[in-house]
Parts: sequence; structure tokens; C-alpha cells
Amino acid sequence: MIKSLSLFTLLFCFTLNMQAANLKPFTANTATPPLKLTDLQGKTHDLKDYRGQVVLLQFWATYCGPCRKEMPSMNNMIKKMGDTPFTILAVDMGETEAEVKQFVKEVKPEFSILMDESGKSISDWQVFAAPSNFIIDPTGKIRYTLFGGVEWDSDEIINKLKELAPI
Amino acid sequence: MNLKSFINILVIAIVTSISNTNLALAKDIKSIDAGDTEIEIRIFPASGNVLLLGFPCDEGKSIAEEKTARSLAGDGIEVWMPDMLSGFMLPKVRSSLSNITTEALTSLINEATKTGKKVYLIASGPDTELVLRGASNWESLKQNTSLSGAILMFPRLFKETPVPGKAPEYQDAVGKTKLPILLLEGERTPNRWGINSLSHELQKNGSPVISKIIPNVRGYFFKRQDANRSEDVVTSQMAGLIKVSLFYLQENNTHD
Repeated sequence: MIKSLSLFTLLFCFTLNMQAANLKPFTANTATPPLKLTDLQGKTHDLKDYRGQVVLLQFWATYCGPCRKEMPSMNNMIKKMGDTPFTILAVDMGETEAEVKQFVKEVKPEFSILMDESGKSISDWQVFAAPSNFIIDPTGKIRYTLFGGVEWDSDEIINKLKELAPI
Repeated sequence: MNLKSFINILVIAIVTSISNTNLALAKDIKSIDAGDTEIEIRIFPASGNVLLLGFPCDEGKSIAEEKTARSLAGDGIEVWMPDMLSGFMLPKVRSSLSNITTEALTSLINEATKTGKKVYLIASGPDTELVLRGASNWESLKQNTSLSGAILMFPRLFKETPVPGKAPEYQDAVGKTKLPILLLEGERTPNRWGINSLSHELQKNGSPVISKIIPNVRGYFFKRQDANRSEDVVTSQMAGLIKVSLFYLQENNTHD
């Protein structure tokens, strides 16, 4: 009996843990906000130009511990997505270029880091915590959101994102 | 006396000495009948006409708060620091806040207003909910004496962690008071981006709200073990920060 209870508790805790790391379907009936920002190299990125791809749009900051921790898994995620049309756009939440460049030197993200010193996109996208993530499908619609740090290269997440890509 | 007994006595002596230090630092300790319980208040008396009633809820353990209170009292601002958690025999966890009764908060406010001074409320983090709950209940009782304002430092008033892309839900006490409010938030926390949304919610029952961002500091910087230089400087100047906040509230106060 005790053994069964322990097993149940273990399974319950495991389920809770998995749920915490899950992408949540985005149910709000709102249009995808615009996003047009420049990266650290000065190149402008407009979300509209990424139609036809699955996009992970992340709002993060250098002072956010989970953001720093999960970035290597985001690098690996790009590799695991393989031929699936996929892009990561990581918007820094209102910090200076100097702060972000130092972070990039240390953590070495292999995706576009966009700058938003005014915080306009943070307001447009209703972001109140970091990291806040949006998964946008190839038609430009928000399909999932996720708050908090996660291992982005997990099979569960990769498979969900691949399902969004055009066949 | 063997070594084990000696160590035991030494530990008891140290613990007693530490627990008495907080009492020794305070100028006065007062117990207030707050309905079902008694609340102990550390009072830092001052001769000025302003009284700052704080809800630190830290069982008096924060040295920064003690130093700040002493400094403010030295400048003529009386500070009252009630120990709400001990009063209700609650642990120092966020869920304890909902077990602090509104009646107890109102009793404390009532006692503070009896001094005849202008009463301002102050709290930080999730404890800010107590300020809003106490103030709105005080107003609903239609007292003759108005409160003069509230300083909410790094308020954490979400009901749950907000879902990206959706408007956040706030605690029930948000937007119920008319009290003039000053919000302080650190620059290096995602919460700074929620300050406009929170201000908007707080204004719903007529509160005038001012918000200020403190550069180069994280949330709760004054309680951090890993504080950086900017955070250490601001912590050491906390009394000044509160005096500036009171100044802004007085400038914008329509209650007086």
C-alpha cells in the first residue's frame, strides 16, 4: 500500500513538473501585435517577414537567472529543429546595448538578440515577467505561450513546434 | 559542566542576545489589541507631525528597516513597525498574508491616527496588499480622520504569475482605496514594465498614483545577500528615498 502511494506521489510530482514546463495554448482572441526592432548588429527584424516559419519570440533580460540558464538549450533547439523553417527572436527588456553585449560575450546565443530600450514592444505584447515566450505559427498567429525557464531542446517541445510547420 | 552543556548554554545565550537586540534597538514597544490578537509594535518616536506606519512582516529581523526607521525618526518622522506575523503566530511565507485580518490592520491604523499626526502607510513586495486592504477598510468605515497616503515599494500584487500576452489579474484589494499612492520599482526587474498597468488599476477608485523607477537596482535589493554597489548605496539611503516619496505624496495630496 505504502509502495503504491509512493509511486502515485512520484508520478503526481512528475506530472506537475512536466505541466510546469509545458507550452500553454494561447486562447485569447486577439490579433498578433506588431514587432519591428533592430538587433545588436543594427539589422531590422520585422515579425511580418518571418511568415512561413515557426517563431519563438522571447522577452528576456540579463538580470533574469532562468533566461541565462536556458539559452544554451535554445542554441541546441535550433539544431534539433533541423530543416523545419524556424527562427528565434529574443527581445531584451529595455537594457542598454553595453549590458547586452557583455551578456552575449559570456552566454553566446546563436540567434537574433533584438533591442527595445523604450520598452514599446514589451507593452504591446503585454509582458509582465521574464522570460515570457510566444510561439508563433507560420501564418503569424500566436499558438502557445510559456512563462519561466525551460529546456527548450526537449523532445516534447521540439515535436510540438514541428507540428506547427507547413508540411 | 561538560563541553556539551557549556555549548548548549552558550547557544541559548547567543540566541537570547540576538532576539533581544531588536527590542533594544527600538525606542519603544507597544502592544495593541487588534480584535482576536495583540500586535506588538516597535515605535521610533519623533516630534514631527508625520507618522509612517509600516507593515514589514519580517518579525523585526531586517536590519535595513531598523536603520531606516531610526534615521527617519532622527529627522522628525515617527515610525511604527507592527509585527503582524508574530501577532497571528504565522510563518514568514506569502500565504500568511491572507490570514492577517482586515480588522487587525484597521485597529493599527486607528491607533496611529489617534496620535493626531498625518499617517502614511508603507510596505514592500507582497506585503503591500495589507496596506491597500487596511486603507480601503478604513475608508469604508467613514472615519473622520483621513490617511495621508501610502508608499508601495516594489509591489507584488498579481493574483498569479501573468500569462504572456494577457492582462494580469491583481489582488482584490487593488483599486479599492482613494488613498494617494506612490509606487517605487527597481529598474532591473521585469516588474518595472508592469508599473503602468498597476497604476491604472490602483486609480480605479480615485487614488492619485505617482510612480518612480530607481535606477540600477533589482527588486527587493535591500534584502539581497548579493547586493551590488548601486543596491548597497540605495539601501544605505533608504530613509532619504522615503522622505522624497513623502514629499511627492504631500505635493499631490488632495486629502489634507
